Amino acid sequence: MINNFSPIREINQRDKYFFKKMISNLPDLIFQLSYSSSGILTFPFFNKAVINYFELTKEQVRNFNITSVFREKIHPDDFDAMLISLQKLNENQSNWSFEFRAILPSKGLRWFKAVANIEHSDFDTIVMTGRMSDITVEKQLEVDLKISEQRFQFAMEASTKGVWDLNLKTNKVFYSSQSMKMLELEENDIIDFHQKWDDRIHPDDINDYQKEFELHINNQTPYYENAKRMLTKSGNYKWILSRGKVIERDLNGKPLRIIGTHTDITQQKEEEKALKKTLEIINEQNSRLLNFAHIVSHNLNSHTSNFKMLLDLVEEENDQNSIAEIFQYLRTSSNALHQTIEHLKELVDINNNMSFKKEKLNLDSYLNKVLAILGEEINNNKVKIYKKIPKDYNIPFNPSYLESILLNFTTNAIKYSHPDRIPEIYYDLVKENDKFVLKIKDNGLGIDLDRHGEKLFGMYKTFHNNPDARGIGLFITKNQIESMGGKVEVESKKNIGTTFKIFFNNEI
Amino acid sequence: MKFNDVFVVDDDKIFHFIIKKLLVHNNINVIPKFFENGLQAIEGIKTKLNKGENPPDLILLDINMPILDGWQFLEEFKTIKDRLSKEIIIYIVSSSDDSTDKNKAKNYQSEVKNYYLKPMTAEDLKEIFSN
Repeated sequence: MINNFSPIREINQRDKYFFKKMISNLPDLIFQLSYSSSGILTFPFFNKAVINYFELTKEQVRNFNITSVFREKIHPDDFDAMLISLQKLNENQSNWSFEFRAILPSKGLRWFKAVANIEHSDFDTIVMTGRMSDITVEKQLEVDLKISEQRFQFAMEASTKGVWDLNLKTNKVFYSSQSMKMLELEENDIIDFHQKWDDRIHPDDINDYQKEFELHINNQTPYYENAKRMLTKSGNYKWILSRGKVIERDLNGKPLRIIGTHTDITQQKEEEKALKKTLEIINEQNSRLLNFAHIVSHNLNSHTSNFKMLLDLVEEENDQNSIAEIFQYLRTSSNALHQTIEHLKELVDINNNMSFKKEKLNLDSYLNKVLAILGEEINNNKVKIYKKIPKDYNIPFNPSYLESILLNFTTNAIKYSHPDRIPEIYYDLVKENDKFVLKIKDNGLGIDLDRHGEKLFGMYKTFHNNPDARGIGLFITKNQIESMGGKVEVESKKNIGTTFKIFFNNEI
Repeated sequence: MKFNDVFVVDDDKIFHFIIKKLLVHNNINVIPKFFENGLQAIEGIKTKLNKGENPPDLILLDINMPILDGWQFLEEFKTIKDRLSKEIIIYIVSSSDDSTDKNKAKNYQSEVKNYYLKPMTAEDLKEIFSN
């Protein structure tokens, strides 16, 4: 039968019967609808599927009062909306589509979509035929998706993390509002291409970032992770941690899309920096303490051994003159020990007073004061002084330390001047890596740093009655500078001269 | 007596006096030559070499000294060691109980025979001179 069917052929009686039977038995919900301008909705035809689907009783079907039945079954909000939608149909439209909910006795709430073609439309009545389908599953998916999207949106807004999504084929990129906020950007600051974002990376961090990104893109790392400094709209840098993963590759493994997050780790980085600084201070203090312990042990031991050895000698000696001689040495040893203890006390004071009060001191006037103290020595040795220190430069320092440091370096420069030259001392304040440095340069004997560099600021046996007092002086000077948060360096060439560089710490 | 020519290298003059006395008290018939730093001692050895004399038999060497300390002396000594007609016995005698110094001495095993911590006793001295 079906094989013989042709739409061109005139439909005969038998075909009509066949179509009626087919439509009636189709699993799709087929209907004919008529709507009059007076607001009357009727269903001249509906197939068996409609009866089954809408769970109509035989009585309801027989009474043919289908409108009131539908009114009962269709969700009240949707029924009124359906009437409004039908009212709005005009002559130019050829079809009608409407989604609605129905509450069915056993199936419960279901979503339907009705699609119909307008068959006949005149001033008074519209007649159309169409089909309805159950779209509950699709609707549920739509609702679930909406909920999920809302959740995601909320999560993105509530989270401190930003999200980015990069299309590697087009280099078009999406940055969430949180990512934008991190760089103080607003919605009208359009960052739609990858490069616009990358332009804000700190120049020193670009190489590492590109390396990490390439590694992941080339499938050499399981995910991409990189922390870098990024320029904010106000011109400051923030530390941003970026993590991501390629989520789509083509058949050749070429990446198509990568998604990731941004985290502002500026505070964490600053805390890390502060912690590192604290650790450095502790290590420094620890090593000074250890060094101090060695100094104490060594210096005290050298005196006490002398005492022991001298006393041993006294026990063995009978000759009064010899005993008197040994006692003379004991006296010398005792004086030396006393001096050692004085020096050690001085060092303990310096190291105890790491938080010793600092005052804003005018470097130039302090230097003038020291030069005045040494005036006689400077005149006697015909020392030429050259100063290049801004009159208004103030330094937070301990007053007695500053005086002692300037005094010590100047005295040394005079003491170790070259016999063949008129001594010259240059005082220069310069800036090196944002730090103020006082350079004290002389044209004196110079020091062979290869030989003595290590010992120069050390505290070797200067606690003995050593004629070379440079050791302890420089050792104390170095400790005073370091206790004020600064440091000291030396450059020297034998027979040319020496330059001491004192790095000041401008923090109070 | 095996050691006739002895160098004492120490910047502490009190130690020079003590060594002199200890040697007399222990009937060790040696008059050592005293040097106040490593440079003086190296020059002392070189002078002997240049005069064609024998090097000293024994050196008592302090570590912490100005100009050239004990370690620097040993470095210089290595460079002239091959020119010596005979071996010189070297003992370190120091007030440093620091393990860094004691370990460092092990790097000079072929130059330094032993490490004595001050105070030096009559027994230490006898031990050195009975070898």
